[in-house]
Amino acid sequence: MSDPYAVQVPKGYRVGSWEVREPIATGAFGSVYAARRTGPSDNLPSDDLPSDDLPSTAALKFLPTGTHTPRQLTHLRELAERELELLSRLRSAPRLIRLYETLTVDDPAHPELDGATVLVLEKADGSLAALLSRAPRPAAGPALLAQICEGLAQLHRAGWVHGDLKPANVLLMEDGSARLADFNMAAELDGTHAYTPAFSTPDYTPPELLWAEIGERGRRIRPSADIWAFGVLAHLVLTDSYPLPGGTPSARRDAAVAYARGTDELRLSPRLPDIWREIVRDCLARTHQERITGEALLRRVESAAGTARSARVPRRPVRGGRAVLGAAAGVVAVAALAYGISAIANDGGDAQEPGAKRTAKVSAARYGASELRTDKGVPVAYRALIVDSAHDCVQAPVTPGLIAAMLKSESNFDAQLSDPAMDEYGIARWTPRVLRYYLRSDGKPTAKVPEPPFTPAQSIPAMSRYLCAIVPRLRSGLDGDEKVLVAAAYRTSYRKVNDAGGVPPKVRAYADRVAHYLKEYTPPGKK
Amino acid sequence: MYSIIVVPPPTTEAERNAPQFHLAPGERLTFGRSAADNDLAIAHEGVSRAAGVITAQSAFWVLSNLSSSQTYVVENPEGAGEHIKVGPGRLDAPVPFEFSRIVLPAAGDLLPIEVWAPRHDYLRSPGSLDGATTAPAFSVDRTKRYFAVLAALCEPRLRGEPHAPIPTVDQVVDRLRPLWPSAGRTTVQWNIDYLAVKLRLKPGPDTADAGPRLNGKKESLVSLALRFDLVREDDLVILTAPPTRSGR
Repeated sequence: MSDPYAVQVPKGYRVGSWEVREPIATGAFGSVYAARRTGPSDNLPSDDLPSDDLPSTAALKFLPTGTHTPRQLTHLRELAERELELLSRLRSAPRLIRLYETLTVDDPAHPELDGATVLVLEKADGSLAALLSRAPRPAAGPALLAQICEGLAQLHRAGWVHGDLKPANVLLMEDGSARLADFNMAAELDGTHAYTPAFSTPDYTPPELLWAEIGERGRRIRPSADIWAFGVLAHLVLTDSYPLPGGTPSARRDAAVAYARGTDELRLSPRLPDIWREIVRDCLARTHQERITGEALLRRVESAAGTARSARVPRRPVRGGRAVLGAAAGVVAVAALAYGISAIANDGGDAQEPGAKRTAKVSAARYGASELRTDKGVPVAYRALIVDSAHDCVQAPVTPGLIAAMLKSESNFDAQLSDPAMDEYGIARWTPRVLRYYLRSDGKPTAKVPEPPFTPAQSIPAMSRYLCAIVPRLRSGLDGDEKVLVAAAYRTSYRKVNDAGGVPPKVRAYADRVAHYLKEYTPPGKK
Repeated sequence: MYSIIVVPPPTTEAERNAPQFHLAPGERLTFGRSAADNDLAIAHEGVSRAAGVITAQSAFWVLSNLSSSQTYVVENPEGAGEHIKVGPGRLDAPVPFEFSRIVLPAAGDLLPIEVWAPRHDYLRSPGSLDGATTAPAFSVDRTKRYFAVLAALCEPRLRGEPHAPIPTVDQVVDRLRPLWPSAGRTTVQWNIDYLAVKLRLKPGPDTADAGPRLNGKKESLVSLALRFDLVREDDLVILTAPPTRSGR
C-alpha cells in the first residue's frame, strides 16, 4: 500500500464516454477523478440517454474490483456493491450525491484497471472537510447541518444506515448546498440492525461500537450510529472543536468510553448556541436507546437552522401506482435509471435496448423489445412491469427474460392464481409471509403480513427485489446457469441451493421450465 | 469496551477456571496478598499486602509498584529479553507491550501476572495517521507470533483455493516450526484463542456452553482475516523467512 492513490488512472484515460482529468481525492478503497464528457465512444451506446441528462463534467470513482488487481481485495467488491446498490435504489433522494451511470473497465492492457467498477457521480465543488479547514465555523453552518440531517433522514427512511458520516463524506455543490456521499459503509437495515464492514472513523464512532464484537456478517450497526456522528459533526461545524476532549483521536476515543461508562460527563463547548447544545446533547446520548431519532432530529435541526421545513421526499412510487402502459413522464424517468444499471449488466459492452430510449413513443407491445422478445407470448400488459422491475436491480442475472420465464413457470402469467394449500398467491406465487419483506420499494418489511390477492404491480417488482437479494448470496462455483440457480433459490431458498451445490433435485423440473422459457424469451445475442 | 485483560498467576487448583479481569480505559485493578483490600488477591507470603495497581489507559496500561523494597520486572514474552523495571514506589509507569508478564519476586518464587493489551493500533498504510481516516476496526502487529499463526491458517486459501480446508493445529505447528522451534500445540492454540479475543470474534451461539468449538473458531478467524485483508498474499513471506524482530 505504498501507493498514495488506491487506483491510479492516467490523465486522458477514456472510460465509456468520459475522459479522465485530474485526481480529486483518494480513500483507502477507491480513488476519485474529475472527468469530462467527450461524447459517444465505441464501447458504449451513446444514443440511449438524452444527452442533456449526462453533464459535461462528472466525478469518476474507481473501485479496484477487477480480478487482476495485485492484491486480493475481496472485501472491495462488497464495498462497491453496497455503494452501487444504495445509490441505484435511492436515486430520487435529493440530498444524496447523484449517480449518473456505472461502468466496468474492460481493458486487459491495464490489468490494474481491468474489471474496476466506475461510478459516474455528480461532480461536487469540494467537501465539508475542505471548507472547515479553510474557514472554520462557516456562517452557512446551520443551513448545511439542516441539509446533512435531511440527507440522513432520507437514508434512514429508506431503511439504510450511512455508517461513515464525517465532513469528508459531505460534499458541497456549486450552489453551496450539501449532499451526502461515500456509501461504502452504508448498510441496509435488517430489522433494527444493519451489518457493516468493521471499518470506522474513530472520532465519529459511537462508544457502543468502539471495540464492538464482530460477527460473521460484520458489525451490527443501528441508525443511532449516524445520529451520534451527526452530533459530533454539528459540534465541529459550529464550534471548530470536537465534543469530547482530547488532542488526539485515541484520547477522544477514551473520553467517549469514559463518558459512555458514566464515569465522565459531557462537557460541550460554551461556543455552542443553546438551541444547538440541546440537539447535540440528544445526538450524543450515552446509549443508543436514548438517542434522538432521525425524523425528530430533522425537525429540531430545521427549526434551529431557521430553514423552511424540508419538503417531504416522496417515497419511490410503487410501480402499481402507475398505469401499466406507462404515463410518458414516468417511463422516461425509469429509462434514465435503467441506463446506468444495464450499462453495468452488459459490462458496458453491447448495444442498449432502443425501448428505453424512445419510451414516450414506443408502444406497450414493443416495450423493452431488445431484452424481451415480443413474439413469444409474454402478455403485453405485463411487459413494462417486467422490464422496469428487472432494471431496478443492479445484479446482472436479473433480466426481463428471467422474470418473464419465472412468471410463466410459476403461474403461466395468471394474476388471479390462488393456491391456499401451498399458501401461494398471484402471478409470482408469493407466500404472504415472505412477500412482506419485499413488498415495499424502500426495503422495509410491511407492518403486517400482506393479505392476498396480490396484483401483478405488487408481485412483479417484489419478485425482482427478492431475486436481487438472492444473487449476492449464492456462492460462487455452483453448478449450472446463474439465472436458473437464482430461480431455483426463489422457489426454495438460497441456502438450499448453496447446500445442494446447484439446483436441488426437488425443483429440477421447475428449473428446467425456467431455463426453457428463458431461452425462448431472450432475444438472440443477448446474455 | 475493555482494552486490557489481566490474567492472574496460575494457582494449583482450578487453573482453567481462573478468572480474567477485563479493564476499560480508566479502570484500576489492585493486587496484593490481602484479599480484603485487593481486586486480585495473590495468596503468597512473599507478596506485599498492597503490592501494586494496574490501570488501563487508552489501549495501554500503567503499573504502580506499591511495595517498599521490591522491583517488579515487566517482560515482553516475545521480545527476546525485552523488559522494563518498575522500582519500589514508582507510580503509573507506562508499559508499551501488547503482551506483558509482570514478574513479582516473592520469597524465592517468581509469580507471573500476564497482561494483554489487544487494542494496540498499528500503522496499516502510509497516511493513515490522520484521525479522520476510515480505518479497519482492528489492527494486527505483523511481527507477532499470532500473526504467523494467522498467516499459516490463511495460507491455503490465499494460495488460490477459496474453499481449501483450514489447516489443523498440528499442521500449523509443523508449518511454523522451522521459524519458531518451540512451537507446539499449546502455544499455537493459545495464539488462536488470543486472536479470537484480539479480533473480537463474536462467540457463535453454539459455543457458549459446550466449550469452544475449535474448528468454528479457526474458520471464523480465517474468514474475518481474509474479508478485511488482515493477511494478504504478500504477507505469506513471513512463513518462509525468519520474522524480523527489529524495527516496529
